[in-house]
Amino acid sequence: MFGKYKRLWKKSRLKSSYDAVIIGGGLHGISTAYFLAKNYGMTDVAILEKRYIGFGGAGRNTAIVRANQRTKENLRLYDEGLKLWPKLMQELDFNMLFFNCGNLNLAHSEAGMSALRLQVASAQFHGIQSELVNAKQCKELVPVLDISDRLAFPIFGGMYHPPGGTLRPESVLWGIAKGASQKGVQIHQETEVKSLEIKNNKVVSVKTGDGKKIHTPRVLNAAGGYSALIANMAGIRLPVDVLPIQAMVSQPLKPFLDHVVSSGVYHAYANQSLKGEVVTGSHMDPWPGYTTQVTARYIKHQAEALTELMPCLRGVKFMRTWGGLADMTPDMAPIIDGNHPIDGFYIDCGWGYFGFKSAPVTGKYMAKFMATGKCPEILKPFTMKRFAQHRLSGETASPVNYGPWN
Amino acid sequence: MNRLTHLPTLRIQPSKALSLTYNKKRLTGVEGDSVATALYANGIRIFSRSVKYHRPRGLYSLDGESSNCFMAVDGVPNTRTCTTLLKDGMTVNPQNVIGTPEHDWLFFLDYFGWAMPAGFYHRHFHRPYVLWPTFRKWIRKAAGFGNVSKNWEGGIYDELHLNTDVTVIGGGPAGMSAALAAANQGLRIVLIEGRPWLGGFFEYSPEPYTLDIPRYERARELAREIEKHPNIRWFCHTYLMGLYGNHQITAFQKGGEKDYFDERYIEVRSQSVVVATGCIERPLIFEHNERPGVMQVGCAHRLARTYGLLPGTKAVFSVGHDQGLEAALDLHQLGLKIPAVADIRFDGQNPDLVDRLNKSEIRYMRGWVAGKVYGHHQTSKITLRSTEGTREESYDCDVVVASAGHTPVSGPLIMAQAKLRFDLHTGFFLPHRLPGNVHPAGRLWGLTDPHAIECSGMMAGLKAAADCGAADDNRLKDLKEKLKELPGPERGTKLAISPGKPGKQFVCFDEDVTVKNIYQACDMGFDVPELNKRFTAAGTGPGQWGIPGHNLPLVISKYHADSTIPPMPTTIRPPMAPTLMATYAGKRHNIFKRTPAHEWQEKAHAIFRRVGVWKRARYFSKDYSCKTEIETVHQAVGIIDVSTLGKFRLFGPDALKALQRVYIGDMSTVKKGRVKYSAMCNDDGCLIDDGVVTLTAENDYYFTTSTGRAGTTVEWIRYHTRYDGWNFHLVNLTDAYGAINLAGPKARKVLSELTDDDLSNEAFPFTGYREMTLAGKIPARVMRLGFVGELSFEMHVSSSMTGYLWKCLMEAGKPFGIRPFGLEAQNVLRMQKGHVIIGQESEIRTTLHDLGMGGLWYKKPESKTVGAVALKQTKHQKDRLKLVGFKMVEPSDPKRAPKDGSIIVNDTIRGHVCTARYSFILNEAIGLALVEDKYAGIGTQLEIFEDGSDHQRLHAQVVKPPFYDIEGHRIRM
Amino acid sequence: MSLTITCPICGKRNGYEFRYGGQDKGPRPEEDGLTPEKWAEYVHLNENTGGIQKEWWFHRSGCGLWFTILRDTQTNQEIK
Ligand SMILES: Cc1cc2nc3c(=O)[nH]c(=O)nc-3n(C[C@H](O)[C@H](O)[C@H](O)COP(=O)(O)OP(=O)(O)OC[C@H]3O[C@@H](n4cnc5c(N)ncnc54)[C@H](O)[C@@H]3O)c2cc1C
Ligand SMILES: [Zn+2]
Repeated sequence: MFGKYKRLWKKSRLKSSYDAVIIGGGLHGISTAYFLAKNYGMTDVAILEKRYIGFGGAGRNTAIVRANQRTKENLRLYDEGLKLWPKLMQELDFNMLFFNCGNLNLAHSEAGMSALRLQVASAQFHGIQSELVNAKQCKELVPVLDISDRLAFPIFGGMYHPPGGTLRPESVLWGIAKGASQKGVQIHQETEVKSLEIKNNKVVSVKTGDGKKIHTPRVLNAAGGYSALIANMAGIRLPVDVLPIQAMVSQPLKPFLDHVVSSGVYHAYANQSLKGEVVTGSHMDPWPGYTTQVTARYIKHQAEALTELMPCLRGVKFMRTWGGLADMTPDMAPIIDGNHPIDGFYIDCGWGYFGFKSAPVTGKYMAKFMATGKCPEILKPFTMKRFAQHRLSGETASPVNYGPWN
Repeated sequence: MNRLTHLPTLRIQPSKALSLTYNKKRLTGVEGDSVATALYANGIRIFSRSVKYHRPRGLYSLDGESSNCFMAVDGVPNTRTCTTLLKDGMTVNPQNVIGTPEHDWLFFLDYFGWAMPAGFYHRHFHRPYVLWPTFRKWIRKAAGFGNVSKNWEGGIYDELHLNTDVTVIGGGPAGMSAALAAANQGLRIVLIEGRPWLGGFFEYSPEPYTLDIPRYERARELAREIEKHPNIRWFCHTYLMGLYGNHQITAFQKGGEKDYFDERYIEVRSQSVVVATGCIERPLIFEHNERPGVMQVGCAHRLARTYGLLPGTKAVFSVGHDQGLEAALDLHQLGLKIPAVADIRFDGQNPDLVDRLNKSEIRYMRGWVAGKVYGHHQTSKITLRSTEGTREESYDCDVVVASAGHTPVSGPLIMAQAKLRFDLHTGFFLPHRLPGNVHPAGRLWGLTDPHAIECSGMMAGLKAAADCGAADDNRLKDLKEKLKELPGPERGTKLAISPGKPGKQFVCFDEDVTVKNIYQACDMGFDVPELNKRFTAAGTGPGQWGIPGHNLPLVISKYHADSTIPPMPTTIRPPMAPTLMATYAGKRHNIFKRTPAHEWQEKAHAIFRRVGVWKRARYFSKDYSCKTEIETVHQAVGIIDVSTLGKFRLFGPDALKALQRVYIGDMSTVKKGRVKYSAMCNDDGCLIDDGVVTLTAENDYYFTTSTGRAGTTVEWIRYHTRYDGWNFHLVNLTDAYGAINLAGPKARKVLSELTDDDLSNEAFPFTGYREMTLAGKIPARVMRLGFVGELSFEMHVSSSMTGYLWKCLMEAGKPFGIRPFGLEAQNVLRMQKGHVIIGQESEIRTTLHDLGMGGLWYKKPESKTVGAVALKQTKHQKDRLKLVGFKMVEPSDPKRAPKDGSIIVNDTIRGHVCTARYSFILNEAIGLALVEDKYAGIGTQLEIFEDGSDHQRLHAQVVKPPFYDIEGHRIRM
Repeated sequence: MSLTITCPICGKRNGYEFRYGGQDKGPRPEEDGLTPEKWAEYVHLNENTGGIQKEWWFHRSGCGLWFTILRDTQTNQEIK
């Protein structure tokens, strides 16, 4: 009934040249590699990961997936991304524990409802299931919600998006890594990229921590929270601020929370994993840094917020907090570029705290980008050039200031 | 069960009975019992069922290291019964069973272990995909331990935030010695201890400290000193949750009978931290090593010494450390039958202990270890094996006391970013690189000798004192010398797994992970602890790493038998102990600001809403269209509280330069007696604020900002002038002044009732600014503004006078039909005038030009105005969103406004409705929308898509705002 | 990780009392001849130093001063 315990992905010797080198064994890097091999037959690909697969954001995130974004540019991408999970599970023969339990975003004012209406209408226009619900309907969906006016910000209603949900992030990584490896992609853990060699404005090679030089005409910067450092190696500065962000889980409990509940006003979201833990993510630390250490502040804040929204959580215990890095752009949209300003240097980063859900689909198009050298239409809105043109993406309605005051 | 009542180490009051209900049965315990010990005293041996295989689990440790002892206590699921003090009348229920823990209908799952290798979830259930949701439902049901109580009320949750010099974590001999040493240097100390009393591992040990003092007596001696020391604040029954950077700790204290709280969140910041958390035991891994009846040394020993309970009738010991031998000797003395004590070690024991063992009737077996436990539900027999696995002996017994040795509780060090390294002598992960101002002490260094432990504690205390500038170098040097003389760390066993067939040897109880599972995961490439724990889930359960923490790295190291890689510790993350969200949430403050006219509006039946930090009146009746409020403003006079507006004074020689920097207009034209309307942009040219500015004296300006910006304007202006060294002062007067707007054709008449000043249009025209006294005693700044589109006076008066002014205006306005109006009425009124509200009509994608407000921009490159560059660069840009006015047209109902947030579409989304309402005065539905510039031309037909409209579109036409009083006569009346 | 910042006026305080103001990029450039790219660089692009950087902080829940400190972004420690 059961196979032998084979390595999920093969071990291999690092060669001195590849058709493509991918920096970062996160979900974006691995997905791109998988699709390069699968869709474009480019199998001479190495993923270089400085620690282990999933030690960046991809293994630390809360894996909320949804397709109810604010702008059409994003909706297209995320919608396709959401539909990809079941396909991937079958194609890779790996259970990624996709739980399309639906997301409920709460609104706490009339203005909040109007803001959600924009998202709901946009989703419906694109044929994506999403609807506005009133407070009573919220309570029907999530009986443990407090819809009374005891709350500092009482619940007015919400946006219910049935096809969204969660996965187990590591499973996704392992599954796609397995698939990539089967197709010939090499995965090298504990292999840090230390520098890039660029000649005549063209990528030539990368150098690893132990001094090995690897020749390649194509490099993808998919280093998540560290991507600015990789870009710096190519002399490119990125419009990102890297902010530590935390998440936490409670002890495992029998199922009682059937949807992902989130509230922008309370800076909190929570869902119950298949294991029974209440998983919740918090806001980012308001200063940049590369430490993934947690602080005392957010676990307290999460408890305050969640117990107000769902009072029965008072009797639930937190078990673990952890931190990750969010590479935040000024407009909450990613940065996707290639062959600009350096030939052969591709960038897929700036995914902040929202880049899990889009990773496989972005990988699919990134692969196309890298295989053809031409940016697919769907990724074009995310070029870094938008900042010089003052054409910020509208995913967040009002200007945000994660970094300096501007 | 009979208690041992004569022991001096007891922490119970055998004469004081307490009652509890367990699984609907009434039982009694005694004061001082933990819930677990009370149950144990009543003969309960199976405490729970494991999560995956539903194996019976019993009392294994007394410090809450695993889920074995989890029950629902007074409605709180997953409560560690072994660390929860029994209170009279408690209700305790087992979890995760169908039936009872003794007879669980899901017992059969234990026979399917072979079907659940590491990561089995990932290889199954998804094919065919249509069945996955069904499987998923089962998985969900099977997962989790307890049930959340939906109506749980909880109790009182307190909060305490402290600052101190030194924090000491751990109230054992090392921690207490450290606290005393540092306190004697004149410093303030906070000491926390998890158990309900001080003493650590001395606390119950009858072994000698000195010839005539047993250790438990020494523990009490130290505790008395701590308790009476004026510099030490100590907290017992207080669990460390986190040790963070910069020497901050969080902990929670459990309230005792006399405390007014149930639990208390404690946060302490200090200069230096001493970590003296001692050791827990390293579980011994053998077949069925978690059968009820198998328990750790400390558990068996403390059951007797602390709670007066002999753990059973006949116990076999399998240990790897001297403390295990001490316990065997002591328990034997206390009456427990001990047929055999197996010691993993061949040599290195304390000869005195060996001597005593040999003199007793206990069979002492060196180089032996537990191999397999028998017994269906409870232990009935054990097979011991020689460590090389060649010989076997079996014993009948109902208790197996098993422990491979100790393992330091180094979680706090790991959380503080210390690096640990595997030490071959002790077999421990010992501190290797420490962060500044963090000092481990005592058993964290592997020490076992009581005097060495105290000495190390004192040293840590003195080092911490030195961090706070109270060093005593000589004393520290003496102690260092002394420590060298004392016995060093005991040699520890490194045995990871007992020899024999790899059957059900559990590495992690919480997640039912066996040695086999660990190996399977290693095979699959997860061959370092950090990866392995993610794949097998070992250590990720609610026991918080207590059981597998040390063994997992050892087992993996064993897997790599030929490698030279030392075992690696894994990361520990806060909270160290599971903590109620109620406790974290603490006092749950709901903090908001009320305006100074709040009560007056309350009296007028205002319906309030939270807006940012404020509560503001949104409606004054249940008619949310606000018809009456709006009509009153158009026809008579309305009054609105606008106190939340940001109000600022900016003065000094360089005040104008600062204004020129942040305001997009030319602020040199601001003059006395007039307000100038202007805006602030960010460096993308995006509108972020608007308001009025006036000059009150030379180089002395008064200006307003939107409500949302009141809190950040000082920051903003100082930020954008931070390199300039300009000489100006900026004062936020938002809370000092209230503001009331009186609007409507009769506003002048009402205001004249309160002043004799000439309010005529000639004397006080539109955009005029006057300072006057109202109602005889209210000094006021009055300005004529036009936000709502009718004649209006905005009055800024000191907060203390605002309520009074409101009252005076209401009285004066009575004959004119005055009514208060709220934010929604104001919203409609201003929309009719095409005035924008930031965040409602503007967004991150729109510049000042896009909003049609480019006229406010005045070129003054020398000022380096924030936003000016972007405004220049975007002035002629195409393909942008533009703000337009629109009205509803046939075939749609021209009187029905689309809902805010509806989208504007043709083949794709082209924009969205910002605000749209039916206008009573215009008798048509109008609105403001952001649309792509191609569709922004006057007269363009727009199609609007509302949510839930089933693709039925509404029709509108672009018109030029303002909609109402286009020439602006009414504001200039 | 918790952060402690030394305000020149108020002394050592909890980092959450402050607002981060970005890496020290120098005064606003002259507007003449400023290309959109150069401007975006000043406004949006960051060094993202992994190590010690000079940066601006504002004492929000305190004295209201903007000042600079040196901080190691890898360890979150202020450097004196
Ligand atoms: C706490 C938290 C919660 C989140 N929640 C969600 C959520 O609910 N939904 C969602 O969609 N998104 C969420 N995210 C965001 C999401 O995790 C990230 O956007 C996503 O993981 C980015 O994937 P990536 O592959 O680009 O980067 P990563 O997963 O970060 O991978 C980058 C990899 O690059 C490696 N690397 C770095 N430097 C080098 C180098 N020099 N050489 C070699 N390798 C290098 C790193 O070790 C890392 O493994 C969350 C993030 C966090 C931190
Ligand atoms: Zn200060």
